[in-house]
Amino acid sequence: MGHHTPVRPASDPKGQTTGTRRGFLKGIGAAAGGTIVAPYVITSTALGNASTPPASDRIVMGGIGIGNMGSGDQNAFLGRSDVQYVAVCDVRKKWRDDGKGRVDGKYGNGDCAAYVDFRELLARDDLDAVHIATPDHWHAIMTIAACRSGKDVYLQKPETLTLREGPLMVAAARRYGRVVSGGSQRVLEDYRDIVHPCWAGEIGAIQSVDISVGGPSQPCYLPAQETPTDIDWDLWLGPAPWEPYNSGRCDGNFGTGGNSWRSYIDYSGGSLTDWGAHHFGGTIFATDLRELQPVKATYHPASADGKQAAYASVTYPNNVTIYHNRPNELRPATPSVAHGGSIQITGDGRAREAKPVPVYKGTGGIYGDFIECVKTRERPFRDIELAVNTMTGPHMIGIAYRLQRSLNWDVAAQQFTGDAEANRLLDRARREPWIL
Amino acid sequence: MAYDSASLDKPLETLKAFDWGGDVAAFEPIDAAVIAVHADPAARADLEKRLAALLTAGTSRAAKEYVCRKLSLIGTAASVPTLAALLPDTDNSHMARFALERINAAEAGAALRQALGTVQGDLKIGMISSLAGRGDTTCVPMLASLLAGDTRTAIAAADALGRIHTPEAVQALTAAGGVSDQAVAAAIVDARLACAESLLKQGKRSEATAIYKSLADAAAAGTTPAAKSTRLAAARGILACLDTTSPS
Repeated sequence: MGHHTPVRPASDPKGQTTGTRRGFLKGIGAAAGGTIVAPYVITSTALGNASTPPASDRIVMGGIGIGNMGSGDQNAFLGRSDVQYVAVCDVRKKWRDDGKGRVDGKYGNGDCAAYVDFRELLARDDLDAVHIATPDHWHAIMTIAACRSGKDVYLQKPETLTLREGPLMVAAARRYGRVVSGGSQRVLEDYRDIVHPCWAGEIGAIQSVDISVGGPSQPCYLPAQETPTDIDWDLWLGPAPWEPYNSGRCDGNFGTGGNSWRSYIDYSGGSLTDWGAHHFGGTIFATDLRELQPVKATYHPASADGKQAAYASVTYPNNVTIYHNRPNELRPATPSVAHGGSIQITGDGRAREAKPVPVYKGTGGIYGDFIECVKTRERPFRDIELAVNTMTGPHMIGIAYRLQRSLNWDVAAQQFTGDAEANRLLDRARREPWIL
Repeated sequence: MAYDSASLDKPLETLKAFDWGGDVAAFEPIDAAVIAVHADPAARADLEKRLAALLTAGTSRAAKEYVCRKLSLIGTAASVPTLAALLPDTDNSHMARFALERINAAEAGAALRQALGTVQGDLKIGMISSLAGRGDTTCVPMLASLLAGDTRTAIAAADALGRIHTPEAVQALTAAGGVSDQAVAAAIVDARLACAESLLKQGKRSEATAIYKSLADAAAAGTTPAAKSTRLAAARGILACLDTTSPS
């Protein structure tokens, strides 16, 4: 990754890190080597009780990207008695202040540190783990940096923006033995209606899946607006191309209609990878494809009369094909199982042996699963490698749409076969000084 | 849709003065042409030439960005001189790299290496980033020399050598292992670990083991930063090298 000269935590103009539990204890330890002149009162909070572990047994966490989805993640971790939340980071002052306020309010003090620059937060040696919920163009750089600095990571979906990023993120996690969990809280919890029949073997061998979700992101040409004083615009853009500030370019709302970063190609894969991370994730989990990557993306052009829109599909080595937005008239008339109107799965109907459905470890959904794995060093439910596999399909579909042709994917080489132009879209140059 | 060069006259002329917030619908014929020329080398060359011709002083920054995005898809060696001229330009250097990094021609790598030797500061790190992204093996000696430079550039050079991970890159990183700057030393450790992983994947277990053991020894002696994590990473690597039952 790139390395700027560190900036100071926003809350501390002198560049001094605000008080942290371990930093404080370290200071006490140093003092203990000399003459202790002040009484040290151990509070009941620090000691813990029947429902709260002592401070020394809590997972010390911070959050990067603390607005919108980041605030939801923060609240989930902050609400846990086995987490001590000590730092927030956001390039926007409002979200930074709000995030710090939630932590300080929870603990009844003013101790939560607040940073503009994630490198300052990652440089702290008292953190066990971080959660990251920035726009997607930051995910790989921050995750790899966190692994290098010895932190476990809970990373919002979609975990990757480009196909090339995935293997590098997995490598960093494995290299440093870090727990890196993807962040789709819906995969296990929202799709039980399709997960259980599939794992129970009730619908037989999976043949095809139809997913209905929005399309890929688009280029952004929004006009320049005056850059507000409460955002570090250069750091928001980071590795993405320089573009003028526009609130619609960087708003974190969940829309993809042009008024959020989720709409735009420099920061997101669009609905296809955003909500798609949930729908594809739920589908791929239900159909037990998480260990695999597709070997083919097929582009189905629009009909000549324009009545039928283009659609695309990916096919896995076991011949399961997942269609994206296939027209209704081309789908199986009676799918075996469905999740509302968004996912339809068709099997061969010959019942198969049931398999136990993987579940979260610990308590508290995917957040509890992550925290449990931080403690035990097991791999989490949405381990980064499974997340990368999952996102490979939507990314391949996005590239097939962009090039308007079908593509073959060499999983071992992580390249498209026989299509040099498609291979150009495996990754993109990052704006200086950022390097992956 | 067949490629029609004449139909692009007006969109390309309009593009010159394009600014963010302008009417992008006017450029839809250009977008369509980029797709249409896929299997038509002559049409592709024509479109590339016409796009590259816009990368001049009279064209807006937004338009140059648009052009670089298109050349990142269809550009060839023919576009390299025009793109290379933008590499020292602070405003346009990144988008020139956006195209050059993806152009699979030796000339593109040569242009980035040339710029690496001349630009400074963040722009130099940008060249390092793009050469790493291309897996450019020719630049290894240049990157090796940068390991002794300023901290930020040296870290980027180490990262890049880890991505390139040729025997020459391994050698350069090993030779630079004793740097005193702790941030650079940490980046070198990470890059050496990346090289060892690559060697292991290639089945070169003894070479990989040598790197892991060297790092483990240095960590035990306290001569690497983050000694504990380095020791653990090296130990994991050594175990992986011993496990001949698992895929490399």
